[in-house]
Amino acid sequence: MSEVGSDAVSSGGRGRVAHVGRKTRWGHVLGTVFVLAWTLPPFLYLILLSVKPEPLMVERSVLIFWPTFERYRDVVISNFGAPIWTSLVTSTTGALFTLILASLAGVTFSFLDFRGKAALFLLILLPRMFPPVTTLIPIQLTMKTLGLLDTRTALIILFTGFQIPLAIWVMRTFFDEIPRELVESAALDGASLPTIVTRVVLPLAGPGLLTAFILSFIFNWNEFLFPLVVTGLNAKTGSVVLMSFDTGYKKLQYGSLAVLGVVMTVPVILFVLSFRAALVRGLTAGALKS
Amino acid sequence: MRWATLGRGRFYFFLLMLPAVLYVVAWRIAPALYTILLSFTQYNIVYDSGPTWNHLQNYGRLLHDSGLLESLRISVMFTGAATAVELLVGLGVGAFFDSDPPARNLLLGIFLLPMIMAPVVVGTIWAILFDPTIGPIPYLIQVLHGPRVEWLGSSVLALGGLVVADAWEWSPLLALLLFSAMQTIPREQYEAARVDGSSGWQLFWRVVLPQVRGMVIVAAGLRFMDALLELDKVIVMTGGGPGASTGFVSYYVYRQAFQAYELGYASTVITGLLVLLAVVYGLYLRNSSRMLRSANV
Repeated sequence: MSEVGSDAVSSGGRGRVAHVGRKTRWGHVLGTVFVLAWTLPPFLYLILLSVKPEPLMVERSVLIFWPTFERYRDVVISNFGAPIWTSLVTSTTGALFTLILASLAGVTFSFLDFRGKAALFLLILLPRMFPPVTTLIPIQLTMKTLGLLDTRTALIILFTGFQIPLAIWVMRTFFDEIPRELVESAALDGASLPTIVTRVVLPLAGPGLLTAFILSFIFNWNEFLFPLVVTGLNAKTGSVVLMSFDTGYKKLQYGSLAVLGVVMTVPVILFVLSFRAALVRGLTAGALKS
Repeated sequence: MRWATLGRGRFYFFLLMLPAVLYVVAWRIAPALYTILLSFTQYNIVYDSGPTWNHLQNYGRLLHDSGLLESLRISVMFTGAATAVELLVGLGVGAFFDSDPPARNLLLGIFLLPMIMAPVVVGTIWAILFDPTIGPIPYLIQVLHGPRVEWLGSSVLALGGLVVADAWEWSPLLALLLFSAMQTIPREQYEAARVDGSSGWQLFWRVVLPQVRGMVIVAAGLRFMDALLELDKVIVMTGGGPGASTGFVSYYVYRQAFQAYELGYASTVITGLLVLLAVVYGLYLRNSSRMLRSANV
Protein backbone atom coordinates (compact mmCIF):
# COMPACT_ATOMS: atom_id res chain seq x y z
CA MET A 1 0.00 0.00 0.00
CA SER A 2 2.75 2.38 0.91
CA GLU A 3 4.28 1.97 -2.52
CA VAL A 4 1.16 3.20 -4.19
CA GLY A 5 1.30 6.63 -2.64
CA SER A 6 4.93 7.34 -3.39
CA ASP A 7 4.59 5.81 -6.82
CA ALA A 8 1.65 8.00 -7.61
CA VAL A 9 3.64 11.07 -6.76
CA SER A 10 7.11 10.38 -7.99
CA SER A 11 6.69 8.46 -11.20
CA GLY A 12 6.18 10.48 -14.31
CA GLY A 13 4.86 9.54 -17.69
CA ARG A 14 5.95 5.91 -17.79
CA GLY A 15 6.09 5.87 -21.56
CA ARG A 16 2.73 7.40 -22.17
CA VAL A 17 4.03 10.77 -23.24
CA ALA A 18 4.67 9.49 -26.74
CA HIS A 19 0.99 8.71 -27.11
CA VAL A 20 -0.32 12.08 -26.04
CA GLY A 21 -2.37 13.15 -29.00
CA ARG A 22 -4.25 16.34 -29.65
CA LYS A 23 -7.36 14.87 -28.06
CA THR A 24 -5.52 14.12 -24.83
CA ARG A 25 -4.11 17.61 -24.75
CA TRP A 26 -7.61 19.06 -24.93
CA GLY A 27 -8.59 16.70 -22.16
CA HIS A 28 -5.70 18.02 -20.09
CA VAL A 29 -6.74 21.62 -20.66
CA LEU A 30 -10.34 20.89 -19.72
CA GLY A 31 -9.30 18.89 -16.69
CA THR A 32 -6.93 21.58 -15.48
CA VAL A 33 -9.60 24.24 -15.90
CA PHE A 34 -12.08 22.09 -13.99
CA VAL A 35 -9.70 21.42 -11.11
CA LEU A 36 -8.80 25.11 -10.75
CA ALA A 37 -12.39 26.33 -11.16
CA TRP A 38 -13.54 23.79 -8.58
CA THR A 39 -10.99 24.62 -5.91
CA LEU A 40 -9.90 28.22 -6.20
CA PRO A 41 -12.93 30.57 -6.45
CA PRO A 42 -14.14 29.97 -2.88
CA PHE A 43 -10.62 30.69 -1.55
CA LEU A 44 -10.23 33.77 -3.71
CA TYR A 45 -13.56 35.16 -2.57
CA LEU A 46 -12.61 34.66 1.06
CA ILE A 47 -9.33 36.50 0.52
CA LEU A 48 -11.11 39.25 -1.42
CA LEU A 49 -13.60 39.72 1.38
CA SER A 50 -10.84 39.81 4.00
CA VAL A 51 -9.29 42.92 2.45
CA LYS A 52 -12.46 44.61 1.22
CA PRO A 53 -13.09 47.99 2.87
CA GLU A 54 -16.12 48.00 5.15
CA PRO A 55 -18.29 50.44 3.09
CA LEU A 56 -17.97 48.25 -0.02
CA MET A 57 -18.75 45.01 1.82
CA VAL A 58 -22.22 44.44 0.41
CA GLU A 59 -21.40 45.79 -3.07
CA ARG A 60 -20.86 42.42 -4.65
CA SER A 61 -20.16 43.73 -8.14
CA VAL A 62 -17.09 45.63 -6.87
CA LEU A 63 -14.12 43.35 -7.40
CA ILE A 64 -11.40 45.97 -7.79
CA PHE A 65 -10.70 48.34 -4.92
CA TRP A 66 -7.91 49.61 -2.73
CA PRO A 67 -7.39 46.77 -0.23
CA THR A 68 -7.42 47.38 3.50
CA PHE A 69 -5.20 45.40 5.83
CA GLU A 70 -6.50 46.92 9.03
CA ARG A 71 -8.36 43.78 9.98
CA TYR A 72 -5.22 41.68 9.66
CA ARG A 73 -3.44 44.11 11.97
CA ASP A 74 -6.39 43.79 14.37
CA VAL A 75 -5.94 40.02 14.48
CA VAL A 76 -2.44 40.47 15.79
CA ILE A 77 -3.12 43.15 18.37
CA SER A 78 -6.73 42.53 19.39
CA ASN A 79 -8.18 39.65 21.34
CA PHE A 80 -8.34 37.43 18.22
CA GLY A 81 -4.63 36.96 18.63
CA ALA A 82 -4.97 34.85 21.76
CA PRO A 83 -7.12 32.03 20.28
CA ILE A 84 -4.84 31.76 17.24
CA TRP A 85 -1.86 31.55 19.57
CA THR A 86 -3.66 28.89 21.65
CA SER A 87 -4.31 26.89 18.48
CA LEU A 88 -0.67 27.16 17.46
CA VAL A 89 0.76 26.21 20.85
CA THR A 90 -1.60 23.32 21.58
CA SER A 91 -1.44 21.89 18.05
CA THR A 92 2.36 21.94 18.00
CA THR A 93 2.81 20.55 21.50
CA GLY A 94 0.19 17.88 20.93
CA ALA A 95 1.82 16.84 17.65
CA LEU A 96 5.24 16.62 19.34
CA PHE A 97 3.93 14.40 22.16
CA THR A 98 2.14 12.28 19.59
CA LEU A 99 5.34 11.94 17.63
CA ILE A 100 7.33 10.80 20.67
CA LEU A 101 4.81 8.21 21.83
CA ALA A 102 3.88 7.00 18.37
CA SER A 103 7.40 6.70 16.99
CA LEU A 104 8.50 4.51 19.89
CA ALA A 105 5.45 2.31 19.56
CA GLY A 106 5.84 2.28 15.78
CA VAL A 107 9.38 0.93 16.10
CA THR A 108 8.16 -1.99 18.18
CA PHE A 109 5.26 -2.72 15.87
CA SER A 110 7.54 -2.69 12.88
CA PHE A 111 10.56 -4.56 14.22
CA LEU A 112 9.38 -7.01 16.81
CA ASP A 113 7.27 -10.12 16.29
CA PHE A 114 5.32 -11.21 19.28
CA ARG A 115 2.15 -13.06 20.04
CA GLY A 116 -0.94 -10.87 19.99
CA LYS A 117 0.75 -8.17 17.92
CA ALA A 118 -2.03 -8.05 15.33
CA ALA A 119 -4.67 -7.78 18.07
CA LEU A 120 -2.77 -5.01 19.86
CA PHE A 121 -2.29 -3.11 16.63
CA LEU A 122 -6.00 -3.38 15.93
CA LEU A 123 -6.74 -2.13 19.45
CA ILE A 124 -4.68 0.99 18.75
CA LEU A 125 -6.35 1.58 15.39
CA LEU A 126 -9.83 0.89 16.74
CA PRO A 127 -10.50 4.46 17.98
CA ARG A 128 -10.03 5.74 14.44
CA MET A 129 -13.25 3.95 13.59
CA PHE A 130 -15.21 5.58 16.41
CA PRO A 131 -16.89 8.76 15.32
CA PRO A 132 -15.86 11.71 17.51
CA VAL A 133 -19.28 12.05 19.16
CA THR A 134 -18.81 8.69 20.86
CA THR A 135 -16.23 10.06 23.30
CA LEU A 136 -17.40 13.64 23.59
CA ILE A 137 -19.47 13.22 26.76
CA PRO A 138 -17.04 11.20 28.94
CA ILE A 139 -14.17 13.43 27.91
CA GLN A 140 -16.00 16.56 28.95
CA LEU A 141 -16.92 14.91 32.27
CA THR A 142 -13.33 13.77 32.84
CA MET A 143 -11.90 17.21 32.12
CA LYS A 144 -14.41 18.70 34.52
CA THR A 145 -13.46 16.22 37.23
CA LEU A 146 -9.76 16.92 36.72
CA GLY A 147 -10.44 20.64 36.85
CA LEU A 148 -8.93 21.08 33.42
CA LEU A 149 -11.91 22.60 31.63
CA ASP A 150 -10.93 25.69 29.66
CA THR A 151 -7.19 25.11 29.87
CA ARG A 152 -4.58 24.55 27.21
CA THR A 153 -3.43 21.45 29.09
CA ALA A 154 -6.77 19.80 28.36
CA LEU A 155 -6.37 20.48 24.65
CA ILE A 156 -2.82 19.15 24.57
CA ILE A 157 -3.86 15.96 26.40
CA LEU A 158 -6.68 15.37 23.92
CA PHE A 159 -4.71 16.25 20.79
CA THR A 160 -1.91 13.88 21.77
CA GLY A 161 -4.33 10.98 22.07
CA PHE A 162 -6.30 11.75 18.92
CA GLN A 163 -3.39 11.50 16.53
CA ILE A 164 -1.48 8.54 17.99
CA PRO A 165 -3.32 5.90 15.93
CA LEU A 166 -2.85 7.78 12.66
CA ALA A 167 0.78 8.59 13.46
CA ILE A 168 1.61 4.96 14.29
CA TRP A 169 -0.08 3.82 11.13
CA VAL A 170 1.69 6.33 8.91
CA MET A 171 5.10 5.84 10.53
CA ARG A 172 4.88 2.09 10.42
CA THR A 173 4.72 2.14 6.63
CA PHE A 174 8.00 4.10 6.70
CA PHE A 175 9.65 1.87 9.34
CA ASP A 176 8.76 -1.21 7.36
CA GLU A 177 10.94 0.01 4.52
CA ILE A 178 14.13 0.17 6.59
CA PRO A 179 16.35 -2.77 5.63
CA ARG A 180 16.37 -5.27 8.49
CA GLU A 181 19.99 -6.22 7.78
CA LEU A 182 21.08 -2.73 8.69
CA VAL A 183 19.54 -2.97 12.12
CA GLU A 184 20.71 -6.51 12.70
CA SER A 185 24.30 -5.70 11.81
CA ALA A 186 24.20 -2.76 14.20
CA ALA A 187 22.95 -5.13 16.89
CA LEU A 188 25.69 -7.64 16.06
CA ASP A 189 28.25 -4.85 16.33
CA GLY A 190 27.14 -4.53 19.91
CA ALA A 191 24.99 -1.42 19.71
CA SER A 192 22.44 -1.29 22.50
CA LEU A 193 18.78 -1.01 21.74
CA PRO A 194 18.41 2.67 22.65
CA THR A 195 21.39 3.41 20.39
CA ILE A 196 19.89 1.44 17.53
CA VAL A 197 16.56 3.22 17.85
CA THR A 198 17.97 6.73 18.15
CA ARG A 199 20.97 6.44 15.82
CA VAL A 200 19.81 4.02 13.13
CA VAL A 201 16.06 3.66 12.98
CA LEU A 202 14.73 7.15 13.68
CA PRO A 203 17.13 9.02 11.36
CA LEU A 204 16.28 6.64 8.53
CA ALA A 205 12.58 7.20 9.14
CA GLY A 206 12.98 10.99 9.04
CA PRO A 207 10.46 11.57 6.23
CA GLY A 208 7.98 9.37 8.08
CA LEU A 209 8.39 11.39 11.28
CA LEU A 210 7.95 14.61 9.35
CA THR A 211 4.83 13.34 7.62
CA ALA A 212 3.32 12.17 10.89
CA PHE A 213 4.14 15.46 12.58
CA ILE A 214 2.62 17.59 9.82
CA LEU A 215 -0.54 15.49 9.59
CA SER A 216 -0.95 15.54 13.39
CA PHE A 217 -0.41 19.29 13.50
CA ILE A 218 -2.94 19.95 10.74
CA PHE A 219 -5.60 17.71 12.27
CA ASN A 220 -5.07 19.32 15.68
CA TRP A 221 -5.23 22.77 14.14
CA ASN A 222 -8.48 21.87 12.39
CA GLU A 223 -10.10 20.17 15.38
CA PHE A 224 -13.31 21.85 16.38
CA LEU A 225 -15.76 19.73 18.30
CA PHE A 226 -13.57 18.91 21.30
CA PRO A 227 -12.19 22.43 21.78
CA LEU A 228 -15.82 23.58 21.59
CA VAL A 229 -16.94 21.41 24.50
CA VAL A 230 -13.85 21.53 26.75
CA THR A 231 -12.92 25.20 26.44
CA GLY A 232 -14.89 28.31 27.22
CA LEU A 233 -13.20 31.64 27.53
CA ASN A 234 -9.49 31.39 28.20
CA ALA A 235 -8.40 28.49 26.01
CA LYS A 236 -10.64 29.04 23.01
CA THR A 237 -9.02 27.93 19.76
CA GLY A 238 -9.17 29.69 16.41
CA SER A 239 -11.81 27.31 15.09
CA VAL A 240 -14.08 27.92 18.08
CA VAL A 241 -13.84 31.70 17.66
CA LEU A 242 -14.55 31.33 13.96
CA MET A 243 -17.68 29.36 14.80
CA SER A 244 -18.88 32.00 17.28
CA PHE A 245 -18.60 34.54 14.47
CA ASP A 246 -20.59 32.31 12.13
CA THR A 247 -23.49 31.77 14.44
CA GLY A 248 -23.41 34.46 17.10
CA TYR A 249 -24.28 38.12 17.31
CA LYS A 250 -21.02 39.05 15.58
CA LYS A 251 -22.29 37.52 12.37
CA LEU A 252 -22.43 40.83 10.54
CA GLN A 253 -18.70 41.45 10.85
CA TYR A 254 -18.04 39.66 7.59
CA GLY A 255 -14.62 41.20 7.13
CA SER A 256 -13.23 39.89 10.41
CA LEU A 257 -14.85 36.53 9.75
CA ALA A 258 -13.03 36.32 6.42
CA VAL A 259 -9.72 37.35 8.01
CA LEU A 260 -10.02 34.60 10.62
CA GLY A 261 -10.85 32.10 7.86
CA VAL A 262 -7.74 33.10 5.93
CA VAL A 263 -5.53 33.00 9.03
CA MET A 264 -6.81 29.52 9.91
CA THR A 265 -6.01 28.32 6.39
CA VAL A 266 -2.55 29.82 5.84
CA PRO A 267 -0.53 27.23 7.81
CA VAL A 268 -2.37 24.40 6.09
CA ILE A 269 -1.65 25.83 2.64
CA LEU A 270 2.02 26.36 3.47
CA PHE A 271 2.39 22.77 4.67
CA VAL A 272 0.53 21.31 1.72
CA LEU A 273 2.51 23.21 -0.88
CA SER A 274 5.88 22.52 0.73
CA PHE A 275 5.42 18.85 1.61
CA ARG A 276 3.01 17.74 -1.08
CA ALA A 277 4.56 14.37 -1.85
CA ALA A 278 4.92 13.27 1.76
CA LEU A 279 1.39 14.41 2.62
CA VAL A 280 -0.17 12.65 -0.34
CA ARG A 281 1.51 9.46 0.72
CA GLY A 282 0.49 9.90 4.35
CA LEU A 283 -3.10 10.78 3.52
CA THR A 284 -3.46 7.82 1.18
CA ALA A 285 -2.16 5.49 3.88
CA GLY A 286 -4.21 7.25 6.54
CA ALA A 287 -7.48 7.05 4.65
CA LEU A 288 -7.06 3.32 4.14
CA LYS A 289 -6.42 2.79 7.82
CA SER A 290 -8.68 -0.22 7.95
CA MET B 1 11.67 -10.17 13.08
CA ARG B 2 13.30 -12.39 15.62
CA TRP B 3 16.75 -11.40 16.68
CA ALA B 4 18.90 -14.12 18.06
CA THR B 5 20.92 -11.34 19.64
CA LEU B 6 17.95 -9.59 21.14
CA GLY B 7 17.82 -11.36 24.49
CA ARG B 8 16.73 -8.88 27.11
CA GLY B 9 16.03 -6.37 24.31
CA ARG B 10 12.53 -7.75 23.91
CA PHE B 11 11.66 -6.27 27.26
CA TYR B 12 12.87 -2.82 26.25
CA PHE B 13 10.84 -3.08 23.08
CA PHE B 14 7.69 -3.62 25.10
CA LEU B 15 8.60 -0.62 27.23
CA LEU B 16 8.80 1.50 24.07
CA MET B 17 5.31 0.51 23.09
CA LEU B 18 3.65 0.77 26.46
CA PRO B 19 3.10 4.56 26.77
CA ALA B 20 1.29 4.86 23.46
CA VAL B 21 -0.90 1.83 24.16
CA LEU B 22 -1.82 3.04 27.63
CA TYR B 23 -2.52 6.52 26.34
CA VAL B 24 -4.85 5.30 23.62
CA VAL B 25 -6.65 3.02 26.04
CA ALA B 26 -7.07 5.78 28.62
CA TRP B 27 -8.14 8.62 26.37
CA ARG B 28 -9.79 6.92 23.42
CA ILE B 29 -11.05 3.46 24.33
CA ALA B 30 -12.09 3.92 27.96
CA PRO B 31 -14.27 6.98 27.16
CA ALA B 32 -16.03 5.05 24.40
CA LEU B 33 -16.75 2.21 26.83
CA TYR B 34 -17.95 4.70 29.43
CA THR B 35 -20.38 6.10 26.86
CA ILE B 36 -21.86 2.64 26.48
CA LEU B 37 -22.12 2.36 30.27
CA LEU B 38 -23.83 5.77 30.51
CA SER B 39 -26.38 4.62 27.95
CA PHE B 40 -28.00 2.47 30.64
CA THR B 41 -28.38 5.35 33.08
CA GLN B 42 -30.50 8.35 33.79
CA TYR B 43 -28.11 11.27 33.91
CA ASN B 44 -29.22 14.82 33.37
CA ILE B 45 -26.26 16.88 34.41
CA VAL B 46 -28.48 19.71 35.69
CA TYR B 47 -30.96 17.68 37.78
CA ASP B 48 -29.06 14.53 38.70
CA SER B 49 -26.03 14.48 40.98
CA GLY B 50 -24.69 11.39 39.26
CA PRO B 51 -25.72 8.73 36.80
CA THR B 52 -28.31 6.31 38.16
CA TRP B 53 -29.06 2.93 36.67
CA ASN B 54 -32.40 2.90 34.88
CA HIS B 55 -32.24 -0.49 33.23
CA LEU B 56 -33.31 -0.37 29.62
CA GLN B 57 -35.62 2.63 29.81
CA ASN B 58 -33.43 4.69 27.50
CA TYR B 59 -33.51 1.97 24.91
CA GLY B 60 -37.28 1.84 25.10
CA ARG B 61 -37.32 5.58 24.48
CA LEU B 62 -34.89 5.13 21.58
CA LEU B 63 -37.28 2.83 19.76
CA HIS B 64 -40.14 5.32 19.94
CA ASP B 65 -38.19 8.49 19.28
CA SER B 66 -39.70 10.02 16.18
CA GLY B 67 -37.30 12.97 16.28
CA LEU B 68 -34.38 10.60 16.08
CA LEU B 69 -35.93 8.72 13.18
CA GLU B 70 -36.47 11.97 11.33
CA SER B 71 -32.88 13.06 11.90
CA LEU B 72 -31.64 9.68 10.68
CA ARG B 73 -33.73 10.08 7.54
CA ILE B 74 -32.22 13.51 6.88
CA SER B 75 -28.71 12.21 7.52
CA VAL B 76 -29.15 9.31 5.13
CA MET B 77 -30.50 11.64 2.43
CA PHE B 78 -27.58 14.00 2.85
CA THR B 79 -25.06 11.18 2.94
CA GLY B 80 -26.43 9.47 -0.15
CA ALA B 81 -26.48 12.66 -2.19
CA ALA B 82 -23.04 13.81 -1.03
CA THR B 83 -21.39 10.43 -1.58
CA ALA B 84 -22.87 10.17 -5.09
CA VAL B 85 -21.60 13.61 -6.13
CA GLU B 86 -18.19 12.99 -4.58
CA LEU B 87 -17.84 9.65 -6.32
CA LEU B 88 -18.67 11.19 -9.68
CA VAL B 89 -16.24 14.09 -9.30
CA GLY B 90 -13.62 11.79 -7.76
CA LEU B 91 -13.76 9.36 -10.68
CA GLY B 92 -13.49 12.13 -13.25
CA VAL B 93 -10.68 14.00 -11.55
CA GLY B 94 -8.89 10.76 -10.65
CA ALA B 95 -8.92 9.73 -14.32
CA PHE B 96 -7.68 13.19 -15.26
CA PHE B 97 -4.69 12.91 -12.89
CA ASP B 98 -4.06 9.38 -14.12
CA SER B 99 -3.58 10.72 -17.65
CA ASP B 100 -0.38 12.51 -16.57
CA PRO B 101 -1.35 16.12 -17.19
CA PRO B 102 1.43 18.73 -17.04
CA ALA B 103 2.09 20.08 -13.51
CA ARG B 104 0.16 17.15 -12.09
CA ASN B 105 1.67 17.22 -8.62
CA LEU B 106 1.01 20.93 -8.18
CA LEU B 107 -2.58 20.54 -9.37
CA LEU B 108 -3.04 17.58 -7.04
CA GLY B 109 -1.75 19.65 -4.12
CA ILE B 110 -4.18 22.45 -4.94
CA PHE B 111 -7.09 20.08 -5.42
CA LEU B 112 -6.47 18.44 -2.04
CA LEU B 113 -6.61 21.73 -0.12
CA PRO B 114 -10.32 21.69 0.78
CA MET B 115 -10.07 18.30 2.50
CA ILE B 116 -7.01 19.30 4.53
CA MET B 117 -8.21 22.68 5.73
CA ALA B 118 -10.39 23.03 8.82
CA PRO B 119 -14.01 21.87 8.33
CA VAL B 120 -15.07 25.00 10.22
CA VAL B 121 -13.39 27.14 7.57
CA VAL B 122 -15.06 25.13 4.81
CA GLY B 123 -18.40 25.77 6.52
CA THR B 124 -17.58 29.47 6.90
CA ILE B 125 -16.60 29.82 3.25
CA TRP B 126 -19.81 28.25 2.02
CA ALA B 127 -21.94 30.17 4.51
CA ILE B 128 -20.39 33.33 3.01
CA LEU B 129 -20.83 32.17 -0.60
CA PHE B 130 -24.53 31.46 -0.01
CA ASP B 131 -25.15 34.55 2.13
CA PRO B 132 -28.00 36.73 0.81
CA THR B 133 -26.21 40.03 1.49
CA ILE B 134 -22.55 39.34 0.69
CA GLY B 135 -22.63 35.98 -1.11
CA PRO B 136 -21.72 35.85 -4.79
CA ILE B 137 -23.99 32.88 -5.55
CA PRO B 138 -27.33 34.62 -4.82
CA TYR B 139 -25.90 37.69 -6.58
CA LEU B 140 -25.05 35.74 -9.73
CA ILE B 141 -28.52 34.22 -9.79
CA GLN B 142 -30.00 37.69 -9.42
CA VAL B 143 -27.84 39.08 -12.25
CA LEU B 144 -28.98 36.22 -14.46
CA HIS B 145 -32.59 37.17 -13.62
CA GLY B 146 -33.10 33.99 -11.68
CA PRO B 147 -35.44 33.70 -8.71
CA ARG B 148 -34.50 35.23 -5.37
CA VAL B 149 -33.69 32.34 -3.11
CA GLU B 150 -32.63 32.12 0.52
CA TRP B 151 -30.09 29.36 0.19
CA LEU B 152 -29.50 28.39 3.78
CA GLY B 153 -32.88 29.76 4.84
CA SER B 154 -35.17 27.27 3.11
CA SER B 155 -35.32 23.64 4.04
CA VAL B 156 -34.59 21.88 0.74
CA LEU B 157 -31.91 24.33 -0.35
CA ALA B 158 -30.18 24.27 3.02
CA LEU B 159 -29.71 20.54 2.64
CA GLY B 160 -28.53 21.14 -0.93
CA GLY B 161 -26.10 23.79 0.29
CA LEU B 162 -24.60 21.36 2.80
CA VAL B 163 -24.25 18.73 0.06
CA VAL B 164 -22.41 21.26 -2.14
CA ALA B 165 -20.06 22.20 0.70
CA ASP B 166 -19.44 18.56 1.58
CA ALA B 167 -18.77 17.67 -2.06
CA TRP B 168 -16.28 20.51 -2.31
CA GLU B 169 -14.51 19.33 0.80
CA TRP B 170 -14.41 15.59 0.21
CA SER B 171 -14.35 14.92 -3.55
CA PRO B 172 -10.55 15.35 -3.32
CA LEU B 173 -10.30 12.33 -1.01
CA LEU B 174 -12.13 10.10 -3.46
CA ALA B 175 -10.09 11.51 -6.35
CA LEU B 176 -6.88 10.75 -4.43
CA LEU B 177 -7.86 7.18 -3.59
CA LEU B 178 -9.19 6.39 -7.07
CA PHE B 179 -6.17 8.00 -8.68
CA SER B 180 -3.77 5.83 -6.68
CA ALA B 181 -5.81 2.76 -7.60
CA MET B 182 -5.72 3.74 -11.28
CA GLN B 183 -1.94 4.13 -11.09
CA THR B 184 -1.62 0.41 -10.39
CA ILE B 185 -3.21 -0.56 -13.70
CA PRO B 186 -0.42 -1.75 -16.03
CA ARG B 187 0.10 0.84 -18.76
CA GLU B 188 0.42 -1.87 -21.41
CA GLN B 189 -3.31 -2.43 -21.10
CA TYR B 190 -3.97 1.15 -22.16
CA GLU B 191 -1.69 0.81 -25.14
CA ALA B 192 -3.23 -2.48 -26.18
CA ALA B 193 -6.67 -0.89 -26.01
CA ARG B 194 -5.45 2.06 -28.08
CA VAL B 195 -3.96 -0.23 -30.70
CA ASP B 196 -7.28 -2.03 -30.89
CA GLY B 197 -8.79 1.36 -31.71
CA SER B 198 -10.89 1.97 -28.63
CA SER B 199 -11.78 5.54 -27.74
CA GLY B 200 -10.85 7.23 -24.48
CA TRP B 201 -14.39 6.76 -23.23
CA GLN B 202 -14.36 3.04 -24.01
CA LEU B 203 -10.98 2.77 -22.35
CA PHE B 204 -12.42 4.27 -19.18
CA TRP B 205 -15.52 2.05 -19.11
CA ARG B 206 -13.96 -1.21 -20.25
CA VAL B 207 -10.43 -1.09 -18.87
CA VAL B 208 -10.15 1.41 -16.03
CA LEU B 209 -13.49 1.19 -14.24
CA PRO B 210 -13.61 -2.61 -13.85
CA GLN B 211 -10.16 -2.58 -12.30
CA VAL B 212 -10.83 0.16 -9.78
CA ARG B 213 -14.25 -1.17 -8.84
CA GLY B 214 -12.88 -2.44 -5.53
CA MET B 215 -11.51 0.96 -4.62
CA VAL B 216 -14.74 2.65 -5.69
CA ILE B 217 -16.62 0.56 -3.15
CA VAL B 218 -14.01 1.05 -0.42
CA ALA B 219 -13.76 4.81 -0.93
CA ALA B 220 -17.51 5.32 -1.16
CA GLY B 221 -17.93 3.22 1.99
CA LEU B 222 -15.40 5.34 3.89
CA ARG B 223 -17.13 8.51 2.83
CA PHE B 224 -20.60 7.16 3.57
CA MET B 225 -19.70 6.28 7.15
CA ASP B 226 -18.07 9.65 7.79
CA ALA B 227 -20.79 11.75 6.16
CA LEU B 228 -23.48 9.96 8.14
CA LEU B 229 -22.09 11.58 11.29
CA GLU B 230 -21.31 15.00 9.80
CA LEU B 231 -21.47 17.67 12.47
CA ASP B 232 -18.99 20.55 12.07
CA LYS B 233 -20.48 22.10 8.96
CA VAL B 234 -24.03 21.79 10.30
CA ILE B 235 -23.14 23.73 13.42
CA VAL B 236 -21.41 26.44 11.41
CA MET B 237 -23.67 26.73 8.37
CA THR B 238 -27.25 26.08 9.44
CA GLY B 239 -27.39 25.21 13.14
CA GLY B 240 -29.71 22.36 12.18
CA GLY B 241 -32.27 24.72 10.67
CA PRO B 242 -34.32 26.14 9.22
CA GLY B 243 -36.76 24.29 11.43
CA ALA B 244 -35.28 20.83 11.77
CA SER B 245 -34.52 20.44 8.07
CA THR B 246 -30.79 19.91 8.52
CA GLY B 247 -30.93 18.35 11.97
CA PHE B 248 -28.55 15.50 11.21
CA VAL B 249 -28.29 12.63 13.60
CA SER B 250 -25.00 13.86 15.13
CA TYR B 251 -26.56 17.23 15.68
CA TYR B 252 -29.46 15.50 17.42
CA VAL B 253 -26.98 13.83 19.78
CA TYR B 254 -25.10 17.08 20.29
CA ARG B 255 -28.30 18.88 21.25
CA GLN B 256 -29.41 16.12 23.60
CA ALA B 257 -26.05 16.13 25.35
CA PHE B 258 -24.97 19.77 25.43
CA GLN B 259 -28.21 21.74 25.20
CA ALA B 260 -30.73 19.46 26.94
CA TYR B 261 -27.97 18.02 29.18
CA GLU B 262 -29.47 14.53 28.84
CA LEU B 263 -26.13 12.74 28.96
CA GLY B 264 -27.69 9.34 29.62
CA TYR B 265 -30.08 9.37 26.72
CA ALA B 266 -27.54 10.98 24.37
CA SER B 267 -25.21 8.10 25.16
CA THR B 268 -27.97 5.67 24.30
CA VAL B 269 -28.43 7.28 20.90
CA ILE B 270 -24.67 7.13 20.31
CA THR B 271 -24.57 3.47 21.28
CA GLY B 272 -27.45 2.74 18.93
CA LEU B 273 -25.59 4.52 16.14
CA LEU B 274 -22.44 2.55 16.91
CA VAL B 275 -24.34 -0.70 16.58
CA LEU B 276 -25.79 0.48 13.29
CA LEU B 277 -22.36 1.52 12.05
CA ALA B 278 -20.81 -1.75 13.21
CA VAL B 279 -23.26 -3.66 11.03
CA VAL B 280 -22.44 -1.48 8.03
CA TYR B 281 -18.77 -1.74 8.90
CA GLY B 282 -18.87 -5.52 9.11
CA LEU B 283 -20.41 -5.75 5.66
CA TYR B 284 -17.88 -3.25 4.41
CA LEU B 285 -14.87 -5.05 5.89
CA ARG B 286 -15.99 -8.34 4.42
CA ASN B 287 -16.04 -6.79 0.99
CA SER B 288 -13.18 -4.37 1.32
CA SER B 289 -10.38 -6.81 2.12
CA ARG B 290 -11.32 -8.84 -0.92
CA MET B 291 -11.72 -5.73 -3.06
CA LEU B 292 -8.44 -4.24 -1.92
CA ARG B 293 -6.61 -7.42 -2.75
CA SER B 294 -8.14 -7.53 -6.20
CA ALA B 295 -7.34 -3.85 -6.69
CA ASN B 296 -3.77 -4.54 -5.65
CA VAL B 297 -3.67 -1.75 -3.13
